[in-house]
Amino acid sequence: MVSIKLHNISLVYRLHEKVTLSAPDRRVAGPGGRIEGSGRKQFVQALDGISFELKAGDRLGLVGPNGAGKTTLLKVLYGIYEPSGGSIAIEGKVDALFNINIGFRREATGRRNIVLRGLISGWTESEIEEKMEEIIAFSELGDFIDLPFKSYSQGMAARLAFSMATSLDPEILLMDEWIGAGDASFQDKAKRRMDELAEKAGIIVLASHNESLIESVCTKKLTLKSGQVESLTTKPIKRSRTEKTVLSRPR
Amino acid sequence: MKGDFGCPIAIGYDAIQQKTATLETMIAALNGAVDDISKAMRLHRVWVALAREDIGDQHRRTTLGPLWLLVNYVALMGTFVFVFQPAGNDAAGYSAYVAIGLLVWFYLTEIISLSVSLFQREESFIEGTTLPLFVYVMRMALQSIIRAGYAIAGCIVILLLSGSALNAAWLWSLAGLFMILLATPAVITVFAFLGAFFPDSEFIVGNMMRVGMFFTPVFWVYNGQDGVQKYAYHWNPFTYFLEIVRVPIISGELPMHAFAVTGIISLAVWAIALLLLGRYRKQVVFLI
Repeated sequence: MVSIKLHNISLVYRLHEKVTLSAPDRRVAGPGGRIEGSGRKQFVQALDGISFELKAGDRLGLVGPNGAGKTTLLKVLYGIYEPSGGSIAIEGKVDALFNINIGFRREATGRRNIVLRGLISGWTESEIEEKMEEIIAFSELGDFIDLPFKSYSQGMAARLAFSMATSLDPEILLMDEWIGAGDASFQDKAKRRMDELAEKAGIIVLASHNESLIESVCTKKLTLKSGQVESLTTKPIKRSRTEKTVLSRPR
Repeated sequence: MKGDFGCPIAIGYDAIQQKTATLETMIAALNGAVDDISKAMRLHRVWVALAREDIGDQHRRTTLGPLWLLVNYVALMGTFVFVFQPAGNDAAGYSAYVAIGLLVWFYLTEIISLSVSLFQREESFIEGTTLPLFVYVMRMALQSIIRAGYAIAGCIVILLLSGSALNAAWLWSLAGLFMILLATPAVITVFAFLGAFFPDSEFIVGNMMRVGMFFTPVFWVYNGQDGVQKYAYHWNPFTYFLEIVRVPIISGELPMHAFAVTGIISLAVWAIALLLLGRYRKQVVFLI
């Protein structure tokens, strides 16, 4: 059974003052959050006490200002960042769309990129070959699929990335601001595919600043602020009325 | 994916507890490293495909393609022989000496110099995928091995032209090359972590490798003379990596001492690499 269970997840990482011969650099790298401590012992509290559960068919929208922890939370769910505290249990095959350029080679054709991206996502060559024509058809790239990736517009790249990420039926799909690059007709098509995915008992987690997108796609909305849950809104599937539950932040 | 995460705080009440905690940390690190490596090996299609793409991309717009790697090697080898051939030495023997020396030295220089910036170069992959770190190590190792393959082709031609007859001793040189290949992923891992923690090391290591060529018997011959060359020969680890490939072909002898030293160095580097990979692989994403 596909599910995501997060209990009191926190992510704290130390700001490593790299051993360097150059002048001290005060810029902060990495995900957002609150900076705590001073001097040589500075820590970033990127996530703090995040708890929620998602079950099959849920579509969660992550909202919040820049640096609130949306992308960081997605990366924790994907397994890129290891949480510092709390427990996490994820059942289901996870795929993610963070940055449409990741995993694509500029010089290679779209077709070759499908193979490379598929291998990176853990697909076998036969699985990639089976899905190739479907991916190309959904992306609507036509003859462009045999041209180098560097000749694609951002919208074309986004279409190819989305088409690939959703073609092998991921049970859990994580997306970060991917949809802005596609045109209106593709966005409608993408929404329909996400509906299909959720109806097949999958889970979608989408981070976006676009409230109307979250409203139209998601059934739940998690608002983050400074790495903490500000509110979790659950909406009936019919989207007629919004039921709001404000969660108290676990300490 | 399942897991409970916490920030363990090890409080040593006495020396035994501290030693036990250290041992447990090391075992956990080794398990983590083995897990990362075994996942990377299962994903071999990824790093093989990416390494081949890398080589193709580097030469995509050229007429000769990767054959430029062979041309570069032969041109440099010819220049060194022409400029540095000692008086009285036979040109053919010296050519063979330099051909093998440059082959191994350029390979070692490439893997060390490029690995320092490995994780920075792979930043978008590390921050966007869950690929094990060892995938990037193997991607770079394979790339360097493919590049060295072109130089090896040139080296064999030069050896045959210089009158070195194919014989059983070449098998020992082959074993020497194999030993260097086995050490390659460990060397890349150690220098990649060095570069992640200490970004300036990219330039320090680059400069050291450029200078190191003159302190390594790549193109000069050590005949037991005193002075700087004596210390540069005996106390330079690179000497032994060169000698295990060069000595069998040049003199027909089996350099047991050089094999032993190379083996010990390789094992030590692998031990450091496993500990670094196991202990810090999840921290790299916050460092780059």
